[in-house]
Amino acid sequence: MIFINTITQKISLTIFALLVFSPFSFAYAQTAEVKPKIVVVPVKQKFKRKYKKVMSGSETFAEKSIAVDATVNITLCVSEGNLKINGWERNEIRAFVNNGSEVGFNVREKNKQSNKAVWVKVLGFDPTKNIGTNPNECLSGEEIELDVPRGATVIIKGQTSETIIESVGKVSVEIDGGDIFLNGIERGIDAKVYEGDITVGKSGGAMTLTSTTGNIVAFDVAPSGIGDIFKAKTSSGAITLQSVEHRQMEINSNSGSMKFIGEFLSGGQYTFGTLNGSILLAIPQNSSCKINASFGRGAFNSELPLLNVVKNTTSNTQGLSALVGSGDAALNLRTYSGAIRIKKSEK
Amino acid sequence: MTEKCFDIGTIQAFLDGELSSDKMESVSRHIALCDDCAISMAEAEEESAFAFSALEQEFNTLVPTQRLWTKINNSIEKEKKSFWKPIFGFFSNPSVAAFASLLIVIGFFAAMLSLKTDAPTDSAMEIVPSQESVVSPISKPSIAIVGTPVENSKSKFLLATNSVSDKSENRAVKADFVKREGKAVRKVKPNIPREMPIDDSGQRAANENVLGEDSYVKTIATLTETVNSGKDEVLKSSARFAFERDLAVTDDAIVKMSAEVKRNPKNEAAKQILRASYQNKIDLLNSVAEKTELMASLK
Repeated sequence: MIFINTITQKISLTIFALLVFSPFSFAYAQTAEVKPKIVVVPVKQKFKRKYKKVMSGSETFAEKSIAVDATVNITLCVSEGNLKINGWERNEIRAFVNNGSEVGFNVREKNKQSNKAVWVKVLGFDPTKNIGTNPNECLSGEEIELDVPRGATVIIKGQTSETIIESVGKVSVEIDGGDIFLNGIERGIDAKVYEGDITVGKSGGAMTLTSTTGNIVAFDVAPSGIGDIFKAKTSSGAITLQSVEHRQMEINSNSGSMKFIGEFLSGGQYTFGTLNGSILLAIPQNSSCKINASFGRGAFNSELPLLNVVKNTTSNTQGLSALVGSGDAALNLRTYSGAIRIKKSEK
Repeated sequence: MTEKCFDIGTIQAFLDGELSSDKMESVSRHIALCDDCAISMAEAEEESAFAFSALEQEFNTLVPTQRLWTKINNSIEKEKKSFWKPIFGFFSNPSVAAFASLLIVIGFFAAMLSLKTDAPTDSAMEIVPSQESVVSPISKPSIAIVGTPVENSKSKFLLATNSVSDKSENRAVKADFVKREGKAVRKVKPNIPREMPIDDSGQRAANENVLGEDSYVKTIATLTETVNSGKDEVLKSSARFAFERDLAVTDDAIVKMSAEVKRNPKNEAAKQILRASYQNKIDLLNSVAEKTELMASLK
């Protein structure tokens, strides 16, 4: 009887196990077939298309023009060559390429009333001729020149080139390598270069200037409207600013130094921060600002008299807050191992 | 200044972009010329900036794409490690499932039959009490473990099992008890996260929250992974040198300022530099990622 009993126990156990697992197996068998598979597509794949470069035939240059609206948006990319863009009084874009690609225009949008183009893409080929050849959209050549309306907004992406832009409405430029010179830009600048310098002069509007390894220089720049911010950032390059009249400024660098020559306006907010570089401010004697400085292992020195000085020093950091004049502007200074120096400017 | 100054409500509405275009223009023109209004504007902006800095940690969380990838990867990992997957995989075959169902039906009838035949036997009755005598002392200490010391429960167990003559059964029961006890002890053990502050004041935890270090570290880890996979192709030797040097500068500052903040959580200067160092590192890594993207888009 004991033997029989053991057998029945084993059978009962088997049944129990089957009872437990069978509903799951059915459920899984049903769900396993309809379960979607996650396919991971590498992001780089979409950039792997190869474009054919269209050269300008037997001629050494290519030139084209198109009538546009006064405030046209112009987008273009440059794979190689020096680029020069100049604003003129005509409502027309003229593009010229020397020893390089062809030139063409793609009108993306028109003004319904005037029927003039308000968004134009400048191409490195003629879209009316090179149909179905998958040509390269980027311009290339020894010299690339564009004349555009003064009110135009120009958006550029480029690989290796020197870029000079003068007297246009607004600029957004991102270049891999090469220097950028911007002058007479009225309504704002967004410039980014990975290996090269940025120089901005006599311009207005909100500005964001970023250079990874190069320097930034800005002079005679001002906001075109209230709330326009001036931002400049480098990783290892120096930043030099003269007569920058924005009320809000954010200047940052990783290991670069920075120099500011000008005035701090009443109600303004100014931030200068670097890890390894020094900060030099040359401001008028009658300046009025509230200083909040952190200078790690660095030093702080001021030629202007400081009031209400509060120091906070530990073994690794030093902090200081003080007033210059009545403290109308807020001035935040931060360095890890550099020096901060406030100097009287000769007005 | 001939024009009348604007009230703070109008200035706030101007900052929020809620005014009409005409009004915006007039306010803009006025503020550009009026120092008082410019100061009011700056104060309002400062307040906004303060609010944004308070919510900085919220804003600094990973972008949805990264979060999505993390979730997808976690799901894939979980699926890989699933205990039930091989079992389900075995039973997912329709023929196996059908066979199992058939066995269940047969087994069910066999069990019913055996229960009917076994019920009146005496031998079964003889075995059941002996099993109960073994099991009952285990259940008591296993309940008592939560509140009573382990030694007491063990002694109770030993006393109760002294009457059991079979040594092998005794060992089995002991093993079972130890297993249960272990489980019970593990349940009682508090779940302390690795990064939990050890100090009593809790200042460090609060400090970490203020800085949002976790968020920075996560973002940096993600970016580093992305950048390391492609930096050799994108950066020329000179740029690579500058990149590595700048990275070393930020890392050095992070290590030193982090130590300083841990030592003195109220050191605002160290906090500022630490925050800036983290941000600089993110910007530096981002610059390489953006450069990669630019190069790819121009090919």
